[in-house]
Amino acid sequence: MAKSGDTAHLYDGKTVRSAAPSRKKLAGTSSSTGEIPKDAIPTVEIPSFIESLLGGPLVPKMKFLPADKMVQNLQLGCYGILIALGVLTYIVTPATGTLWFAVTGSMAVASVLQLIVVVGAVGTGFWGTMTRDARFLLVSYVMFILSVMRFASSKVSLSQDVFGGEETQFLLTILVVVYAVLLVMYFELSNGVLRFSMLDTSIRTREVYVMNVKKIIGKYHRSLIINPLIAGTLALLVLSVNTILPAFISLFSEQTALRMEESIELISVYGVALGTLFVFLIVGGLFVLDLPSHLQSWRENKE
Amino acid sequence: MWSRKSAMLGSLAVAMYLLGLTLRNTQLVTIAVVIFVFLTWAAIFGGHADVSASGRRADEWSGEEGVSLSNVSAMRKLSSARIFEDGEVGVTLRMQNNSGLGKILEVRDRVPEVMRIKDGANYILMELGPRRETFIEYTVECPLRGFYSLGPVAVRVQDPFGLFHKEKELHVYNDFLVFPKMEDLSDTFVKSRVPKIFTGAVNIRQPGPGSEFYSLREYFEGDSFRAINWSAYARTGRLMVNERERDAVSDIILIVDSRAVSETGPVSRNALVYSTRAAASLAKFFLGRRDSVGLVTYSDEVVSIDRDTGSKQLYVILTKLAGAMSRGNIPLQVVVNRILPHINKGSPIIVMSNLEDDPTIITALRDFRARDFDVTVLSPSSLEFEFDAKRLDRTGYEVLKTERDILISELSSLGVNIMDWEPDMLLSTALAGARGF
Repeated sequence: MAKSGDTAHLYDGKTVRSAAPSRKKLAGTSSSTGEIPKDAIPTVEIPSFIESLLGGPLVPKMKFLPADKMVQNLQLGCYGILIALGVLTYIVTPATGTLWFAVTGSMAVASVLQLIVVVGAVGTGFWGTMTRDARFLLVSYVMFILSVMRFASSKVSLSQDVFGGEETQFLLTILVVVYAVLLVMYFELSNGVLRFSMLDTSIRTREVYVMNVKKIIGKYHRSLIINPLIAGTLALLVLSVNTILPAFISLFSEQTALRMEESIELISVYGVALGTLFVFLIVGGLFVLDLPSHLQSWRENKE
Repeated sequence: MWSRKSAMLGSLAVAMYLLGLTLRNTQLVTIAVVIFVFLTWAAIFGGHADVSASGRRADEWSGEEGVSLSNVSAMRKLSSARIFEDGEVGVTLRMQNNSGLGKILEVRDRVPEVMRIKDGANYILMELGPRRETFIEYTVECPLRGFYSLGPVAVRVQDPFGLFHKEKELHVYNDFLVFPKMEDLSDTFVKSRVPKIFTGAVNIRQPGPGSEFYSLREYFEGDSFRAINWSAYARTGRLMVNERERDAVSDIILIVDSRAVSETGPVSRNALVYSTRAAASLAKFFLGRRDSVGLVTYSDEVVSIDRDTGSKQLYVILTKLAGAMSRGNIPLQVVVNRILPHINKGSPIIVMSNLEDDPTIITALRDFRARDFDVTVLSPSSLEFEFDAKRLDRTGYEVLKTERDILISELSSLGVNIMDWEPDMLLSTALAGARGF
């Protein structure tokens, strides 16, 4: 039975108290130890330095209820992507150029270490997704990024070239794009597991009511398919700058186009950077012109 | 507006892009490009929802209002604008999407912190079709008296990945009043010994001290022999007494202590809460008896409601009690000095105070008694509230209790009807105790 003086039911489970300062002081001085009782001092939660930087707790303190079907599906999707991502990461990130190769100088040791990092990333990802613990997911993200951080001399090389993809530039590009898309999808899906767990818990604890759940979830599912396709296509375009740019230039000068095609810079990472720059200059321009707002306005007012 | 997630992804993309150029690593640059595309797509084509309602009024608002939210409007209807404590208010929120585009909206109707959602929800995630409207219904329970305001309605749309959002506060406010709850005091006997001279004929139609015959009833022990109706006795063979109609009304003055110290104790159990409930109950009782009731509250200022009768006066008093805030530390003597010249001699005065931190209490009440006022003090014990909340240890409690008992007996010796009102005691019991019944 709740105590008669308990106000927890009024303030979301917190007991809120107020007292005149003189009374608090008196309560403190009149105790046998001479200390102010802990109960007399209101609890104040001060965010840690990291929390204040991030604007909130890194790991939500909310306890999730058992996963519902939607969350379970997301978890399954996440496991699938993790496996594919683990395999691809291992293929597209050979041990050469890695930090451990630079430190140890041994290809064998570096390969083992690289494999450990990839397996570790997959393992923590699995555990984090299964337990819905953001800390493990964060470790997994860091390990995946760590595994790809290597000096590559603008060259995409593979640790395991099963299908002879290293010979075909286009296939290699596709492989890298698929890898990048899978990595971003992993970020999103694992985050989705936490977001929808929170939402599901809020719904089941009646903190929030959701109307037309199917439509809302459907929209998320659609986005999970459309966004990676678009991101992959655009990234492919950017990475194919060494083909697209000469083709465009050839309309004006065949010779310049040929020189560009054979240019080392254009097929190097700087060529990719140049392509990215072009694309995002266009996107930036659209934002300067406030295209998203105009587009939204047009869509809203369309009959 | 960027979310924390999109800001972190954006920073990661920039870092990877620069690192990719430094390490001449195409994979890193590719990941950065994919993240950039993700963010750009969400920013352009996302249009959608959690809410941070600040409770600001329209004139203070300087926040973001996205295009996608300019066509969303809200209206609210309350089932009642005035209720009593522990009562419920039904809220109907009507959300309209006036645009030709369906939206996934997150809507939170801001409810005062002390209120509890009983049915339904004030926080809703919904898909609102083009040119559609929906009704959100919920019920709030209001456990504490006061002036309250519902609103604003905070609306948010965000992209499906939660990367960008647009927020808007719809400044729809509904004010309502929660009166202190009242107790039935039909068995309470507080009478004026000096009838008020009432101009004009007033038919009170209640038994009491007076000259006009009201009814006959059986004799009870303690009834005056002068009241026995001998002819009725001869007729019926049983002792019958005449009851007379009250031909006088009293001026009742209620004094409520709402100084800062009166709120000592838990939010829902403190002297001020008890005092306001007692004052409301007493006002209802006396006004129902056709007495004239006035109210004085003192905090950092002395606020008084002049004596009057009728149900309108009850609502005036209830409204004032609903808005009584604990602040300041005006001594009771100031109140006595101010009201003494304006009240009829002998009128019953009921003071509701925890008798804390006021060195003038004894002299103030002595002044009343010296002028032959019938003074009753109901003193909700802050000590008990504190002790119940486990904020006072046993030794401290005993010491303070002794001090309080001494003060109470001193006041009692002045002829003040005083009751140390303990938290679990009913008002009628406390009143009866104070009056010696």
